[in-house]
Amino acid sequence: MSLKPLLRKMFLVDLIKGLKVTFNYQAPSEAITEQYPLERPVIFERFRGQPRLSVNPDTGESLCIVCNLCALACPEQLIVVKGERNPVTRRKEPVAWTYDLSRCMFCGLCAEACSTDALELTQDYEMALYSREGMVLDQAALERGQEPTRYEK
Amino acid sequence: MSDFETDYRHAKPGQSGPGVTDYLDLDTKDETFLDATELVLNMGPQHPSTHGVLRVILKLDGEKVLGTECIIGYLHRGVEKIGEHRTYAMFNPYVDRMDYVASVSNGLGYCEAVEKLLSVEAPPRAQYLRVILTELCRISSHQVWLGTHALDIGALTPLFYCFRDREEILKIFEKYCGARLTTHAFRIGGCLYEAYDGFEQDCKKFCDAFLPKLDEYEELLTTNRIWVRRTKGVGILNPEDCIALGVTGPVLRASGVKWDLRKAQPYESYKDFDFEIPTGLNGDTYDRYLVRIEEMRQSVRIIRQAVDGLPTGPIIAKVPKVIKPPVGEVYHSIEAPKGELGYFIVSDGSTQPYRMRVRPPSFVNLQALDKMVRGLLVADVVAVIGTLDIVLGEVDR
Amino acid sequence: MLDAITGYLNSGTTPGEYGSIFWATIYILVITIGISLAVIAMNWLERKILAHMQIRLGPMRVGPHGLLQPFADALKLLIKEDIIPEEADKLVFWSAPVVVTMTAFTTFLVVPFGRTHAVTDMNIGVLFMLGISSLGVLGIIMAGWSSNSHYPLMGSLRSSAQMVSYEIAMGLAIVSAVLMTSLQTGTGTLSMIGIVEAQNAQQTWFIFKFFPLGFIAFGVFAIAMVAETNRAPFDLPEAESELVAGFHTEYSGFRWSLFFLAEYAAMLAVSSIAVTLWLGGWMRPFPNFLSGPAWETAFSFIPALALFVLAGMCLLGTVRMPKIPQMRVQTVGLGIFGTLLGLVGLVLLVPAVRERVQDIFWFVTKVAFFMYLYIWYRGTFPRYRFDQLMKVGWKVLLPIGLAVLIATAMVGLYPELAAAVVGVVQ
Repeated sequence: MSLKPLLRKMFLVDLIKGLKVTFNYQAPSEAITEQYPLERPVIFERFRGQPRLSVNPDTGESLCIVCNLCALACPEQLIVVKGERNPVTRRKEPVAWTYDLSRCMFCGLCAEACSTDALELTQDYEMALYSREGMVLDQAALERGQEPTRYEK
Repeated sequence: MSDFETDYRHAKPGQSGPGVTDYLDLDTKDETFLDATELVLNMGPQHPSTHGVLRVILKLDGEKVLGTECIIGYLHRGVEKIGEHRTYAMFNPYVDRMDYVASVSNGLGYCEAVEKLLSVEAPPRAQYLRVILTELCRISSHQVWLGTHALDIGALTPLFYCFRDREEILKIFEKYCGARLTTHAFRIGGCLYEAYDGFEQDCKKFCDAFLPKLDEYEELLTTNRIWVRRTKGVGILNPEDCIALGVTGPVLRASGVKWDLRKAQPYESYKDFDFEIPTGLNGDTYDRYLVRIEEMRQSVRIIRQAVDGLPTGPIIAKVPKVIKPPVGEVYHSIEAPKGELGYFIVSDGSTQPYRMRVRPPSFVNLQALDKMVRGLLVADVVAVIGTLDIVLGEVDR
Repeated sequence: MLDAITGYLNSGTTPGEYGSIFWATIYILVITIGISLAVIAMNWLERKILAHMQIRLGPMRVGPHGLLQPFADALKLLIKEDIIPEEADKLVFWSAPVVVTMTAFTTFLVVPFGRTHAVTDMNIGVLFMLGISSLGVLGIIMAGWSSNSHYPLMGSLRSSAQMVSYEIAMGLAIVSAVLMTSLQTGTGTLSMIGIVEAQNAQQTWFIFKFFPLGFIAFGVFAIAMVAETNRAPFDLPEAESELVAGFHTEYSGFRWSLFFLAEYAAMLAVSSIAVTLWLGGWMRPFPNFLSGPAWETAFSFIPALALFVLAGMCLLGTVRMPKIPQMRVQTVGLGIFGTLLGLVGLVLLVPAVRERVQDIFWFVTKVAFFMYLYIWYRGTFPRYRFDQLMKVGWKVLLPIGLAVLIATAMVGLYPELAAAVVGVVQ
């Protein structure tokens, strides 16, 4: 064994190098922890989260035309849309919309399939609930958007 | 002074001796009176370092491993069967959930297999985007491996450094396709999403920032005498065994076999890029560590070239809305971070595959565990499980 | 009554020398409470320092900056269900944590926190400490065996082999330090107080004596003591990635917390041996260069100053807390904690207290340095494998320890020989 590696071994150079790295990282400014409820994470535009059903802001009527493409595209078959034709406007309107959030894997295929931009996956991510009942969203819940459930003691 | 002893190890194949059997024989009672030689230890599925729900039954002599038996299936979800009941486009998000630390690679393999079946090819821009994202994914997968492997061997800290830097990659994923882990990034025929504004800058920034960080990981581990002793000469696999067992990926390359599908059967636009395939000499845990570290460097090289040469144009080829491939079968494999990831699809001409089969690298690599750990100590078992880089979601599917 | 108190306080002796069981009891109580508090503080510090090394924040929610986290954990452990496995040997299972804790605490009988701040001064003090602390392995074996489970059994077997083999290297290093006490005075001593006084008389800490011999002996001890207390990178008996939790896998609740307490108390104990033997015990830095009443007074203010700095940090933290309603309780708590620290600092300014406390302060500071090293190692190093650990113990530390012992004896006996060797080298 040549001298240099031997000396390095004797004076524990390899260990001291590692110790230096961990020592230098101790500065509190290096910490990357997010204190979640106080600090909110940055959510980017394309994030696929809470599903929403859009309404026309002027008239308040649903953009959904009950084409059933989302229900067909969904791999989990968790979307059920029923509609009837409005006799006045001759436009198909949804009457029953359910979206089973508990089975959703947020792949985004339904939003891709939607022909009118009615269904979209938004940036909301706080979808935890205390029970499974609230997981099946109806049309009103989808249009309103789900309120995050607050922690209860 | 050698760094490790070999006197008590006999990890040679086919060796017989007291207690060494070719398979784990748990039923036969040892005839000797007061048998103090053997202990059957159940490692997992809740053991902290079996990377999920792997269960290994160890037959021990003191701390020496006489034999192992892997019991898998605790995470079985029937992904292949699900694939036979979904249309081609619908199955795409499911493959992300097999190897969930390298979901982009899974998606790439699946999309390419279906494209091969359809005889379409993704446009150049899509191919470059796919390469950038899969290489980022390779880095992130190797970072998870490095962190957990170091944690298994007892170094707590690299895990957090790795996850901090992985976060940057996940942010790029989230910005690009809207999800961090189960990305669903690619579609059959190309990509759905156009690169967002600042995608190139983000990738370059990551590459520039990542290389010094990689040196830092190495400072903590590569020369550290404890790390070297724990990994050198542990879990040796020679090239013949590797090939016989079908082991692929960094585990194979660490044994000295220069086999990387990115070079051997170039898919996507890998032939456009200049990169090297790192190989090891000894096929031990330390070599596998070095190979993976070097692979991260090479991935950075590929990402830089791909970002610089990102062509313009469409990002998705003309693919019918309802995918109905012609009758036939196809096998397509890519180099996933863990090894060869292959998809075998049989089409009967309908919208759903007739048969879907995945060749997961983790599952095949796991078969080498028994060969690698015989004659080693219990502490080496966790090191070897770590170095195989298995993801149980992919093993069990 | 008052006379009795001042009479003892002015006697300048330990309770053992003074021959008072009453004062010994008081000291034992103070030390027990002090060690328990130190373990609690250590628990918090370890989490915070380790977290910051790992670019995390560590506990932040229970109390300001997680200051109350150890208390919350202790409470949780106390009210947890007490589980004894069905197949366990109940009596041994029950007594193992008791044995471990007893031995860990008993060692502090002879630790000299100051000239008068020890329960007693035994003439075999070092031997007593070594002997009692190595009894701890008994408790670990009992725990591992009585659990009647594979992982604890393997953990305890590893632990016994490890502690037994590292005690030899440790003993050799200690002997070379004890040799040094006899060199100039001619009479060596094993008494902990005697060793510190020998360092005082020879005007040097033993770590610098016969450089580099003292330093190497200290190094051997510093490595062996990490192994002796089963801490990273020698934490094989409780290697969580291999043996789940080692010998205390089957323990939970209060029994587990006793193991925890014992582990940290043992760490404090071996660190105190190291401080006493090589780092001058309770002596302040540079008693020879910076001597004289002016320096004495200046150094006696340092304990109070240190507390003021800590209080200042707390108050600064109070000011910098985010101004939101959720954090109000924490901000107030941190302010109160800072004020308390400041008040303690004020008490330390009282001359009578100042004179008495500075011994303890220097001793605790030196021990705290070792505690930091423990955490630092844990945050940096991977874990040795069992055979490698044995190799380090028997093939590296033992020969070095022997060589240092022989060299120390030679240099001590024939100083002119040492001078000649140095001359030849030069």
